[in-house]
This record gives sequence, structure tokens and C-alpha cells, in this order.
Amino acid sequence: MATSDDSTPPGDRELVIARVVNAPRALVWKAFTESDRLAHWWGPEGFTMLVHTLDFRPGGAFHYSMRSPDGQIMWGKFVYHDIQAPERLVFVTSFSDEEGHITRAPFSPTWPLEIVNTVTLSESEGNTTITLRGGPINATQEERATFWNAQESLQRGFAGTLDQLAAYLAEDAREI
Amino acid sequence: MLATLDALAQSNRLHIVELLRDGPRPVGEIAERLGLRQPQVSKHLRVLSAAGLVEVHPVAQQRIYQLRPQPFRELDAWLGSYRHVWDARLDRLEAYLHDIQQEPEQHVQEQHYGDKR
Repeated sequence: MATSDDSTPPGDRELVIARVVNAPRALVWKAFTESDRLAHWWGPEGFTMLVHTLDFRPGGAFHYSMRSPDGQIMWGKFVYHDIQAPERLVFVTSFSDEEGHITRAPFSPTWPLEIVNTVTLSESEGNTTITLRGGPINATQEERATFWNAQESLQRGFAGTLDQLAAYLAEDAREI
Repeated sequence: MLATLDALAQSNRLHIVELLRDGPRPVGEIAERLGLRQPQVSKHLRVLSAAGLVEVHPVAQQRIYQLRPQPFRELDAWLGSYRHVWDARLDRLEAYLHDIQQEPEQHVQEQHYGDKR
């Protein structure tokens, strides 16, 4: 994973994340597909998600806003590509404006505009395995490079340094 | 990225970066604002500079330090990276699924995030 060069055609390279949760598949499916449930866990910690429109069908879109703890509003959008309840969901995520037009990520001018996510759910003995595959689509070479560089940084084993920084920030944030 | 995090993972250097977010400042002012001795601040600024987080411009007799945006953009992009975002998201999903199975079909409209500390 994440070792080939950036000339790889889109779709050839993707990240895979798997997680087993202690819940039946039907419930996990609802958590991914019902907007009021999605609002409980989609956004970053402390963000409030508001549903603008939801058109849950292939080709349909989910348009939402998120309010940060300091009151900043960000808009985002999903476009559903494939829906096979309760086991497979393919959707493209992007940042958007209030009207639902795709916009650049707030943090990077070269972040891919669209990321495709494939969620697969399988159930065994009351547990559900969530397998997530993702990567940029319709992206330029520069955008793909930004995306993969950010992923690769993760694999260099600096978790300890980051934990130290996070712990420090949590401790001192209020006193600064 | 590793250089950025290493440089920031020291409280005085993080304070310097936070101070410089408001704009460029000379060494003396940084020392005064943070209650540190000037040689100590200079030492930290050298580390920040070597990591590419700050740059210096001499103005008259003063050395004015300012932040370089590039490493902070990279940090942001990394924090927004697919795996990082999804790992955190799946943690919240797991907590949500746990909560609703404790109290079946209750409080679906209630906002649960922020509960986890």
C-alpha cells in the first residue's frame, strides 16, 4: 500500500481500513445511511452536523454543514454511487459551498476535490466488520501526490511524538 | 512532518509559534512576552528555523522572526488525511453504536458527540 509512484492511474491505489464493531449489520447500515444517525459520528469531535438535503439513491446527494466549536461553518457533500443495502455503499465525499458546489479543502489548495469511499459490511456472530476503501478520483497528479504524501507521513512511526504533542496541547490549551 | 512535530513538541517552542501566529516579532519581544531569557529564546528559534517553521528577516538592528506557512499546511493536510479522519470517525461510530444499544431506540435526535472525554 502507498508505495507505487504517483503516475499510477486513479483507482489503482486505495487505502483500506477495517474495523469490527459490536453491533448487528442492519444497525451499522442505518448509522451510515440515515442522516440523523450519521450526525452523531461523522463530524470531528465537538462539531455539530446539520443536514441540508438528503437524496438517498444512486446519483443522489447528501448536503450538510458542520459548525466547529468556535462557530465556523463548513459545508460538505456526498454523492451516492452504489447502494446495496445492507452490505455495500459507495459514495464520493467533497467539501462544498452553501449551494452544494464542490470547493477546495479549507486546509490545502492541492487536496483532491473528490474522494471515493467504498464501505462493505459483513456480519458474524452479532459483530459487524466494516471495511472501508478509499482514494482520490478525478484528481490531478498534484492532488494525488498531496493525498498520498499525507498518508505516507503516517507510516513513519512518529505516533509517540504526536501523542506527546496532543497531550501537551490538551493540558495547556486553556492557559495560553 | 517528523521535523515539524519534533520541533513543536516542546512547550516553549510551541508558545513561540503561538505568539508568532499573531504576526512577526523580534527576539527581544518574544522573550519578554513569554518571560524567558533571550539566549534561551534564540536557542529555540534556531531549532524552529532548522525545522523550517520560522524564518528571520533583519530589520535595522533587529532580527524579526515570522512563521513559514508551508509546514503548517502539511500538518493540516496530514490531520485531514484519509486514514486519520476515518480512524477517528470509526472510533465515534463505535461509541455511538455502543450507546444506542445500551438505550435501544432512544435519543436518536440527541447530540452525543462531545460526550466522550
